[in-house]
Amino acid sequence: MAFTLYSLLQAALLCVNAIAVLHEERFLKNIGWGTDQGVDGFGEEPGIKSQLRNLIRSVRTVMRVPLIIVNSIAIVLLLLFG
Amino acid sequence: MHPAGLAAAAAAGTPRLPSKRRIPVSQPGMADPHQLFDDTSSTQSRGYGAQRAPGGLGYPAASATPQAAFLADPVSNMAMAYGSSLAAQGKELVDKNIDRFIPVTKLKYYFAVDTMYVGRKLGLLFFPYLHQDWEVQYQQDTPVAPRFDVNAPDLYIPAMAFITYVLVAGLALGTQDRFSPDLLGLQASSALAWLTLEVVAILLSLYLVTVNTDLTTIDLVAFLGYKYVGMIGGVLMGLLFGKIGYYLVLGWCCVAIFVFMFPLLPGTVAHARNPSTLGGRSRRITRSGRCG
Repeated sequence: MAFTLYSLLQAALLCVNAIAVLHEERFLKNIGWGTDQGVDGFGEEPGIKSQLRNLIRSVRTVMRVPLIIVNSIAIVLLLLFG
Repeated sequence: MHPAGLAAAAAAGTPRLPSKRRIPVSQPGMADPHQLFDDTSSTQSRGYGAQRAPGGLGYPAASATPQAAFLADPVSNMAMAYGSSLAAQGKELVDKNIDRFIPVTKLKYYFAVDTMYVGRKLGLLFFPYLHQDWEVQYQQDTPVAPRFDVNAPDLYIPAMAFITYVLVAGLALGTQDRFSPDLLGLQASSALAWLTLEVVAILLSLYLVTVNTDLTTIDLVAFLGYKYVGMIGGVLMGLLFGKIGYYLVLGWCCVAIFVFMFPLLPGTVAHARNPSTLGGRSRRITRSGRCG
């Protein structure tokens, strides 16, 4: 039952890492989830899929540098304290 | 250094004993700094000094000669004044910048409750089936304080319910002989983690479905915090009546929270500002509770 805030932080870090490593050209385009595919009109009911695409793309652009920093901190802490 | 210290000590022989008493009794934040250095009864101070100096506070008189010279009156005065001015500056800085991190004025709205509101809201949480009007009343585009409207969300009940839940969970653990004080912290942290997860999940869903909503994050925390009331009821009934009572009350509170939240959230959303007619229509949850 030990679902603590720290484990939540760890899970969040892992999830954001997972989203950040999805490669645009090699993977997302092949399953039709690239950001330049299928965006038809302006705001005509964006739809869940395009929202998800936008979310993935924004996470990949925005969180790139902070993820490097947070991952390095996590690596150092895990090496020191297990 | 040592002969100079001895000379200074010999020159200021009598004040040395009060300074020996002064050092352990440093009280920052005294209004009059001079009061710290004027001892009233010398005999009492001497006896006091003899008791406290070897008392392990770290200021033994024998090796205190450089310290006694350092902590002469004007220097300590200046240090005290500097310290208090630093504290005042820090407080000013915090007051100026606190609004950037924690929206204090917005939080005050959520705690503007009174006893009647709390009573009615608790009744509504346990029995929402007969409530007719779920709309939050507005007063010139700002929602009315919870004191005047039962439908408005507040943070007082969730906060109190959270703390009470942690204590009641500790009580329940105690009746099963599984209690230890750090388990309380674990319960609190775990409940907080679940709450955070739910808030993030709901925010994500609201983002994905592109709903125009007036709901702020604090509103969501308030609505999600109401479930602790039901949980407290369940655990208490479980303590009194065993497993059957626990599951019965838990089921009742689940249905009650569902009926409570389902009309309440559209009632908050329906007051969103009119979407611009230039862009396409965006999805809005209307008062009938359906996406459309």
